Amino acid sequence: MTARATTTDTLMIASPLDVLQRLCGALSAEAQPVPSCPVGEDAVGFEAAWSDVESLQQWRDVASSGPKVAAVVVAVWPEAHVAAPLMSMSPAEFARRAEWPFLAWYAALGAAISRCADGGTIVALVERPSPLDAAGWAPECGQADAVEALVRSLARSEGPRGVRINAVTTPARVAPSQPIAPAPPLSTYPGRIDVEVTDAVAMLLGAGVGGVTGTVVHVDCGRSWR
Amino acid sequence: MTAGGSTRVVLITGASGGVGRGIAHACAELGWTVWIAARRRLEGEQVAAEVAALGGVGHFVECDASLAADLDRAVATVVETSGHLDGVVLNATSGLSPKPVVFTDVPLTDLEDHVAVSLRGLYLLAKATYPHLLRSAGSFVVLTSEAGFEGKAKLSVYAAVKAAQRGIVRSLAREWGPQRVRINCVAPLAGTPAMERAFEMDPEMAARVLGRNPLGRMGDPATDVGPIVRFLLSDDARYLTGNTLMADGGSCPIA
Repeated sequence: MTARATTTDTLMIASPLDVLQRLCGALSAEAQPVPSCPVGEDAVGFEAAWSDVESLQQWRDVASSGPKVAAVVVAVWPEAHVAAPLMSMSPAEFARRAEWPFLAWYAALGAAISRCADGGTIVALVERPSPLDAAGWAPECGQADAVEALVRSLARSEGPRGVRINAVTTPARVAPSQPIAPAPPLSTYPGRIDVEVTDAVAMLLGAGVGGVTGTVVHVDCGRSWR
Repeated sequence: MTAGGSTRVVLITGASGGVGRGIAHACAELGWTVWIAARRRLEGEQVAAEVAALGGVGHFVECDASLAADLDRAVATVVETSGHLDGVVLNATSGLSPKPVVFTDVPLTDLEDHVAVSLRGLYLLAKATYPHLLRSAGSFVVLTSEAGFEGKAKLSVYAAVKAAQRGIVRSLAREWGPQRVRINCVAPLAGTPAMERAFEMDPEMAARVLGRNPLGRMGDPATDVGPIVRFLLSDDARYLTGNTLMADGGSCPIA
């Protein structure tokens, strides 16, 4: 890790923690797990994603009520999926990959802004297939763009109290094993969570970026140009 | 005449008023067959009549754009009646869209209506129409919003679902392209009843919206936005997919 957050009180609202624990450790962050997706393998429709919204609302209320912190990292990652054409997805799979993550991200970011102290900073870390590699990842592409918009909405609403909020994207778990031409500029594509991604998150949490809010940093080794 | 011919058949959701109605008018001017899919029968049938008066063939089909059964039935009706389907416009949006709410005050239960119409609705409409677009090498257009690019402090859910639509379209363009089916977005800024309601709920909004617009006016759904959507539906746009065209008078510079 080449940069380090200057804050000593960092909260990480995240799932799954087993995937993100090294990032959490590198940032010396307190972990706040996000409830897991309620859409089981036997689900047949969209309803399962919305079957327990009240519990998620209660989780948001509880997660929002802790002490204020200077920095919050939010990473609501689903269980790992495989690339699949949208036209082949069942309603339940769409609910699992698109609807529940949308709901969970909204709840988690709500908790984050409640917990973030005035003058603090928030980083949303979202999985994003690079545009050239977007086939098979429609829900995940949608989720990434949704989080970017949520970050920009919050940059506007929280800016007056000095809170900065930015996003880091990574294709680490959603990149194809053999990207289509041209090859990504850096041989380290798609990037490592505990190296390049952690560095970018730490940079945005740290000193020296005080005028940066509502931005998105694509940590995909040059695969994206916008 | 824009390529496409008078036999072109298009389906527009949420077309009983506002931008959808404007798109229907623009398509009617070229003699296209336009199916108005909406929940409001009276208003939808009126727009279908307007399509006929403008030189097109207008039809109404009752449809809730968030329900699979409704969309499947609507698409089946279109194909059985008109024989084929060349273009689809997803224009429906949640009735909660213009309601300003502070982020942390949004009840999570409110999210489902936004998601059901804008995200689930996109998935369902795409599933229902893709087999027909495959046969016609057709075109699918999603009405998104500049809110999806820049975010909105008090319309955060709306901004997020509109952004998510763009991401899904980016992926679908790559999935559908090899089969010659195109999909694009349009981000309009137009004077509509929905926009008027938004202005009423947020009195400072009009100044914010118009003050940044270099052309200094709201777009007209039929003459400013409709032709851009019609272009994407036509063969003139045969080499365009995965894009978002900003039909907003320069209000939201993204380039």
